[in-house]
This record gives sequence, structure tokens and C-alpha cells, in this order.
Amino acid sequence: MTSLTKASTLSSEDISVWFGQRQVLSNVNLTFPANKVTALIGPSGCGKSTFLRTLNRMHELIPSAGLSGSVFLDGEDIYGEDYDAVTVRIKIGMVFQKPNPFPTMSIKDNILSGLRLSGRKIGNAEELVETSLRRASIWNEVKDRLNDQAISLSGGQQQRLCIARSLAMDPEVLLMDEPCSALDPGSTRRIEETIKELSSSMTIVIVTHNMQQAQRVSDQTAFFLADDNTPGGVVEFGATEQIFNGPIDQRTNDYVNGHFG
Amino acid sequence: MSFAPRPAVQPWKRANTNRRILIVLASILPLLITAGLVIATGIDSSLATIVVFLPLQVIAAGFVGFNAYGRRGFGDALLVVVTIFFSAFVLIMLLSVFLSVITEGSKALSLQFLTQNNVYISNTTSLEYGGVGNAIVGTLLIVGITTILAVPLGIAMAVYLTQSQSKLRGVVRTVTQALSGLPSVVSGLFVLSIIVTFGFEKSGIFGSIALFPLMLPTVARVAEEALKLVPSDLRLAALALGAPNYKAFFQVILPAAKSGLVTALLLGLARVIGETAPLLLTVNVNNGTSWDPFNGPMETLPAYVYGYLSSSFNSAHQRAWGAGLVLLILVAFLFGLARFLGRAKSMKSKPTKQKASK
Repeated sequence: MTSLTKASTLSSEDISVWFGQRQVLSNVNLTFPANKVTALIGPSGCGKSTFLRTLNRMHELIPSAGLSGSVFLDGEDIYGEDYDAVTVRIKIGMVFQKPNPFPTMSIKDNILSGLRLSGRKIGNAEELVETSLRRASIWNEVKDRLNDQAISLSGGQQQRLCIARSLAMDPEVLLMDEPCSALDPGSTRRIEETIKELSSSMTIVIVTHNMQQAQRVSDQTAFFLADDNTPGGVVEFGATEQIFNGPIDQRTNDYVNGHFG
Repeated sequence: MSFAPRPAVQPWKRANTNRRILIVLASILPLLITAGLVIATGIDSSLATIVVFLPLQVIAAGFVGFNAYGRRGFGDALLVVVTIFFSAFVLIMLLSVFLSVITEGSKALSLQFLTQNNVYISNTTSLEYGGVGNAIVGTLLIVGITTILAVPLGIAMAVYLTQSQSKLRGVVRTVTQALSGLPSVVSGLFVLSIIVTFGFEKSGIFGSIALFPLMLPTVARVAEEALKLVPSDLRLAALALGAPNYKAFFQVILPAAKSGLVTALLLGLARVIGETAPLLLTVNVNNGTSWDPFNGPMETLPAYVYGYLSSSFNSAHQRAWGAGLVLLILVAFLFGLARFLGRAKSMKSKPTKQKASK
């Protein structure tokens, strides 16, 4: 059950983002230390999901997308010449808002799909499947039907399968884009427990609209905000404890206490 | 707390006796009146169906609906009557075509009819001799070559139209749509002009080439719709796992669209397998059995039907019907085969050995 690679530190430097001529993010500087969970919070449309996508180069898949600034993975710029998007995405995994297991594959094949798709060798398939499913705490529910189609699972199980699929790649960083927004409280709780366990072996960045969730799972929190017709940006960034209990900025205080957003 | 199982009930279907009587009357009366009218006056029964029965049925159902629910009941009843009437109309037309092909065609059908060819057979020869074996071979070879050419290219076009961001997509889509309106005889004439210009001999391969522009747009259009239905989530999920574009396409998008792509193949096949004019122009006819699409004329099922239909002899007509039935059976067989293969492949990932759980 040991991780093959060490967790890495990820940081963004002056990240600004455009869609066509419209700038949606301005100068985001954040550091995600190894083995820490960072929550990105803020009202809808403030650019936090967009920012998350710049961290593993999924942003550039949108044809009108633009970007300036750098993202450093252990000191190396992932937008630099030595990196390409595929290498970045192998090292930095992603879990989406909506569970998206591959419907034509079995549970087992979904877990192995990452290695197959990225063209890497699968050592011990059985062991990798079990380890990944255990780490996403879904092993006990699916161990007797690994060859069933993935879409036969419930929504919460599908999302944990997607987490397991990312974990099979043994990523250094795991990005999660509102992973619990479509799930019931029970599934949400299990995924939160999984996040806490995973942080011992990787760096985690999670976008969430759920204040309690941010408080429960994260070590540090960044509050994003976009005022009318201006690009979004980070208003306040610090330890989760401080953001929720003693924010410096009035707008952060209003948001975390539910006065707007 | 005890639980006794009870049969399921549908309380929304409850109706009082008066309404039941009305419903029964509305279902029977228009038919009875129409039948009576036809018997009494002797007008054409299909004319009466449309001019008398349909309006009467609409009025009757509309009255029952209005009586029960007012205006919305009237609208609902109207919709029900009109949709059922026209569905039945289309169904009866299709079934009568099927039935006449099957009843007439089965008179000619026999093992010898499927295997023998048309050599030494004339319009008056007894049905105990000769058959469509040569036409089955020709149709399968010619349509097979067309399929091998058109399906990969059509799917490739659909991939270009759905997966790329190119600005030329609009042009390609418009041209494809325009091509789908191409009359088959024009396609045949085009290939014939090539044959004449270069002094080639008419042969099966030219038939395949003439059918190609007919099959391609159908395959491309249907495959495009099939690929559009694959959620973009899946592609993003694959790319986020570090997949290069081509692997995301071949391992995730293509399998997810597979049943739709099989439909594209089948509709393309159905589009060309009954084509007659382009084949008569480019392949000609051949009473003997030819297995070589690159040399000399071949017989095809539609051409066989055409040839014997133009005769005035009874046994010739039955040969034509028989060939029509063979074509129908062939299409049904190919459809079944494609669906079976399409399904069998997707099950392949399932039956791997299940390891005992710990």
C-alpha cells in the first residue's frame, strides 16, 4: 500500500486566464504544500474551477482559452518546454464534478484504464485494482463484482470509482472539482474520509461550495471572488481555521458566514 | 407492523359506467357507420376510410374527451385518434408490401432457387430450374466492396466533423448533405462515362464505385449523430488520465458510440443494397455466376428482379418476386448479423476470470 512517488508541492504564479477576449482570472498566486489539503471556495462563476483546470493543463482543451503565468510542480514549470500536457496529467490527477466512469468498461477495466490510456505497463493488475479500490474505500462494496459494468454502480460509488481510477495512476497531486456536489450525505462523508487518508501520500486541491466540507477536510483555504464585470481573483488565502474563524477581509467574513454568494 | 401483499391498482384509470359506455360507443360507432355506408352505397372502402371514418372517429373521440375533461380532453382525444390512425395507415402499407413479397416470393423459393444460376433459363422455363445464386454472389460482392470503402471513410468524416475544431467542417457538412440528395442514376451515369471514356469493360467494381457516393453520406450523417451523443465528459476523463487524443478516441469514444456506428453501417447498407439503375449502367447483367468483381459483368438481385418483371409470363413474375424475397431475407440476415457482432464485442470485457475475494 505504499506510494511509489512522493507527494509534490504545487504552486501558481501570476496565473491569469482568458476565454476569448474576456479575462476571467487575474494574478492568482497560491501554494499547495505537499501532503496538505487545500480548499478553493467562492461563489459560482468566480473562476475557481477554471483555475483548478489550469493546474493540470485541462484548461487548454477549450479552443478560446488563454493563459499567462506559471504553475510549478516541485519547482518546474508545467507550462515550460520540458513538460507536455500528457505528462502533467499523468502526475496530476483529476476528479470531476459529475461521476464519469467509462460506461463500456467493467469496474476493473476502469481502474486499469488510466495506465492503458497513458500507455504505461501494468505490473500486477489484480493487486493494483485492489489497492486503488481500497484507497478510495469502495473495495468492500465491489470486490465481488469487479467484472460488472461500471455504470451499474450508484452515483456515490461511481464517484469513488473515479477517485480510485485516478489513484491507480499514483498521482503526486489530486485535483477535485466539487466531487460531492451530486452525492448524498453518506457518500459525501465516505469521500471526505478518503480525502483525509489520501493526504498522507499526495497533495490535494478541492473546489467546494460546501463550507462545512471545506472546514472538515482542508488544511488551508483560498477564497475566490469576482466582482461585477471584473476578472476573478483570490481575496484571502490562509489556514482553514483562520479563514473561517478570523478572516481579515470583510468580504471573506460575509461569504463564509453565508451573507452572500 | 404486518405486511400483506396486495395486487397493484391504478386508481387513475377508474371510470364510471356512463363514461365506459361512451368510450365503447365512440370506438364502435364510426366503424359501423362507415361499414354500413360502404355496403349501402358501394363507394370505395379506402376512400370511405379517409373521408367518412376518420372525421367520424375524430368527432366521436373528441366528444368523449370533451365530455370528460372539457377542452383539454378534446385536444388529448384528437391527438390519440390522429396518431393511432396514421400509425396504423403506415403499418398496414408496410405490412401489405411485406406480405405480398412473402406470399408471392415463397412460391419461387427453394434450395435450388438460392444456389443455381440463370444460365439457359428463359421467361417461360419452369420454376424447378434456375435461381438467383449468381445474383446473391454479385450483390454480396459489390455491396461488400462498397461497404469496405464507404464505412471507414464515412466514420472518419464523422470523426472529423465531431472531434476537430476545424473551420472547414461547415463546408464538409454541407457537401455531405448535398451528396445525400444525389439521384442514384446520376451516380451510375458518372461512372458509366468513366467506363466509356477509358474503354473499360463493365464489371462489379464499377458498380461498387457507383454505389459509394450513395452510401457515404448516409454513413457519415448517422455516424456523426452517434458520436455527438457520446458525452464530452468521457473524453475529458480520458484526457485527464493522460491519454493522447487517439487513445481517448479509440478506447473510450469509439466503444461508447459503437451501437450508433453499427446503425450507421446498417442504414448505409439499406441505402444501396436495393439500388438498380446504377448497377444496370455499370455492371450490366450476367446469367452465369461470376466471383470476380474486376472482370466482366455480374448479376445482382435488383437487376434480376428488374429483368424478370419486364416480361409478361407468370413464371417470370414469380422469379422476380422470389428474388425480391431473397433480397429482403438477405437484408434481415445482414442486420441481425451486424447487431449480433456489435453486441458480442462489447461483452468481451466481461467474462474474465473472477478472482476469489479475500
